[in-house]
Amino acid sequence: MSTEYRPHSWPREGIVLGVFAVVVFAMPWWLTWIGGYEALATKIVIWAIFALGFDILLGFTGYLSFGHAAFFGTSGYVAGLMFLHYSESIIPALLACLVVSIVLALVLGFLTLRRTGIYFAILTLAFAQMLHAAALSIFQEWTGGDNGLTMSAQPNLFGLPMDGLNVFYLAAVLVVIGFAMARQIRRSPLGLMLRSIKENQMRLEYTGVNVMAYKMTAYLISAIYAGTAGWLMVVYEPYVATKFLHWSTSGEVVIMSVIGGVNTLIGPMIGAAFMMYFENVVQSEIGELWKLVLGAIFVLIVIFLPGGFVDGYNRVRKVLGQKVPSRRHNVPDSPESMRKLRERGRTAEAGRTD
Amino acid sequence: MTDQNDDRNDKKSTQAGISRRDFLKAGTTTAVVAGTAPMFFVRGAWAEKHMEPIGNFPVKGKTVTFGFNVPQTGAYADEGADELRAYKLAVKHLNGGGGMLETLAPSSLTGQGVLGKKVDYVTGDTQTNPDAARTSARRMVERDGVIMYSGGSSSATAIAQQYLAQEMGIIFMCGLTHSNDTTGKDKRRYGFRHFFNAYMSGKALGPVLAGTYGEDRRAFHLTADYTWGHTQYDSIKQFTEAEGWTTVNNIMTPLGTTDYSQFLTAFLNSDADVLVLNHYGKDMVNSLTQAVQFGVRDMQKNGKDVQVVVPLYSRLMAQGAGAANIDGVFGSTNWNWTLQDPGSQAFVKSFEDEYGFPPSQAAQTCYVQTLLYANACERAGTFYPPEVIKALEDFKFTGAGPGEAIYRGADHQCFKDILVVQGKGPDEKQGEYDLLKIHQQVKRDDVMYPVDTFPGELGPYKPA
Repeated sequence: MSTEYRPHSWPREGIVLGVFAVVVFAMPWWLTWIGGYEALATKIVIWAIFALGFDILLGFTGYLSFGHAAFFGTSGYVAGLMFLHYSESIIPALLACLVVSIVLALVLGFLTLRRTGIYFAILTLAFAQMLHAAALSIFQEWTGGDNGLTMSAQPNLFGLPMDGLNVFYLAAVLVVIGFAMARQIRRSPLGLMLRSIKENQMRLEYTGVNVMAYKMTAYLISAIYAGTAGWLMVVYEPYVATKFLHWSTSGEVVIMSVIGGVNTLIGPMIGAAFMMYFENVVQSEIGELWKLVLGAIFVLIVIFLPGGFVDGYNRVRKVLGQKVPSRRHNVPDSPESMRKLRERGRTAEAGRTD
Repeated sequence: MTDQNDDRNDKKSTQAGISRRDFLKAGTTTAVVAGTAPMFFVRGAWAEKHMEPIGNFPVKGKTVTFGFNVPQTGAYADEGADELRAYKLAVKHLNGGGGMLETLAPSSLTGQGVLGKKVDYVTGDTQTNPDAARTSARRMVERDGVIMYSGGSSSATAIAQQYLAQEMGIIFMCGLTHSNDTTGKDKRRYGFRHFFNAYMSGKALGPVLAGTYGEDRRAFHLTADYTWGHTQYDSIKQFTEAEGWTTVNNIMTPLGTTDYSQFLTAFLNSDADVLVLNHYGKDMVNSLTQAVQFGVRDMQKNGKDVQVVVPLYSRLMAQGAGAANIDGVFGSTNWNWTLQDPGSQAFVKSFEDEYGFPPSQAAQTCYVQTLLYANACERAGTFYPPEVIKALEDFKFTGAGPGEAIYRGADHQCFKDILVVQGKGPDEKQGEYDLLKIHQQVKRDDVMYPVDTFPGELGPYKPA
């Protein structure tokens, strides 16, 4: 990660992904040292996938969706209904979830992406809450209403029962793939376009770029991540709660991103791990006070560490005298890189006069 | 049951080679035979080593852990706090004697732990939310190694946890849950409910309401829009109509509504003369208080005094609404601390000694559930879940409340005497907690119903 354009290096990418994969796959072991347990590792990884996809939308394009639970929850219900009525094999359920997520994203994206900022946030929130209300009322026969969709199914992958560590490994493989893909997107021309949307959408439009298509692509990608997470959640536990569609689920993923560090990819995943750990391990230690303590931590992070945990890490490195990359990737904004860029521009101009 | 056993054994014997589990078993057997021969004379130990592991069975070490999963945050946090007090008291009595241990019969409880092991416990927060309840229960099962978990206050969380219990092979003793579905269409082999349900409320209330207010009443319902509300509306409607009442209308109100004026206006504009509030907790406090502010209770319609009915009552709710508002309002409850039978008295006394105020009905059901589970383990001589389940099924007992109670094996619903109560006015009550007057103690046989009233299957004794 550098403050200026640098050709992509595969060995470096390999090291980053390798370290990430080792940390993720070893989670069931290291998590137990700090009071965690197997199922918590699975849940962390699932939420990490959700948060990672969310960062592709929020971090890259700056579009704050407050209704991402729509994809997570709908996909959960689709998976649950597939297990219940069609097959306990997880592959058909995954395909159905992907199709539904994509269709839903196209519809919602078409309706909401024309607006920006707070209007976009409110619109996505409204549509997600509509789905939540529908699940509790007109679709009650299908969704089980407030009881959630309960079933005694045993999801399997080609006959291999998906329980315990099997689900964890499945989720871990997917999060590593998802992370590699997200990094690839960030580097690609598509990633550059998405970040340009965040910088100045109107200017981009004047240059003849079809901004709507790029926004829709980002929205679709993040919906696919959320849909995959929703599907995994039901594979992990054959039960669909109405909470999966509730705005508090959307809020949770926003909070994970903010406390971890928006636009860092790794940050939201750390945020997810922190939230899950706090909600399940610390909670049992401090009892009914846990929500109060969690709230206080959010406030402190937002005030003193607006860039989340990743920001905190970088600040520590700065204190230790290390070179710290810019928060915005590939955007040359440090005095050093700006100077280099100006020099490069001068050379180019000098060349043209010939 | 035996058929299933045979099936399983057949399958096993046809498999070639030695599985990891068989290997471990053989190893354990050798170790047991070589090292701990005296164990053979301890009751249950011999049988236990022939039982395959289910959930967190076999229990290792000198302690056995129970999980108490109650709402510590969210809409029912007050009830959750009272439930937790009761659980802690139950553990104290199991380890040291006292309370209902002296009245429960038949009882094999010794007051020195369960099956020679000291009882320990862990707690969790359901947040009054099914998903959080399952996550929390899972932590107890996987990390803390609980052999049983218990808790309640919302039917939705109870049902969700019951399915998890069946999946993991851990017995779930429901706390407060009143929906018909818990032991109806969503009943599970690993779930047990001591609390009564909406159907029993209807059966008990119907005749009392018709007897007091007349048989030609016209009822208007406001119902909390989730499964508990739905089943309670169905049951109250069924039993009041059987007495000759007419149901004029029903409005579903969203859970957690704070302003009921638009719904109350609809009631005022109708020709109904009884208002039935299928609300619980804060919802009931709000809707009842606002109905009184609207002057509903001083009104006349169809030439009769307008009446308000709250089918599921609790002392905590009555306290919230205030004596002036609940004065004379009918409802039903599972248990009340003013009951005079020895079991209730023993419990109330020890609870008051410990905490300084009387327990709620939620506390009572949770306390009894913990004792019943422990007692079933003692009677079965093992923690092996299928045997404990069989010890609980069709178990008849006294000394845990008024009259004889029975845990019906076919749907895991406990049947016992329940109470039709009336709110006490400010002049009538003696002390802060004396809010409900027992109008009638309805006999167990009068609220019992056939198993096939509701659909649903219990499922197998051994989780898949």
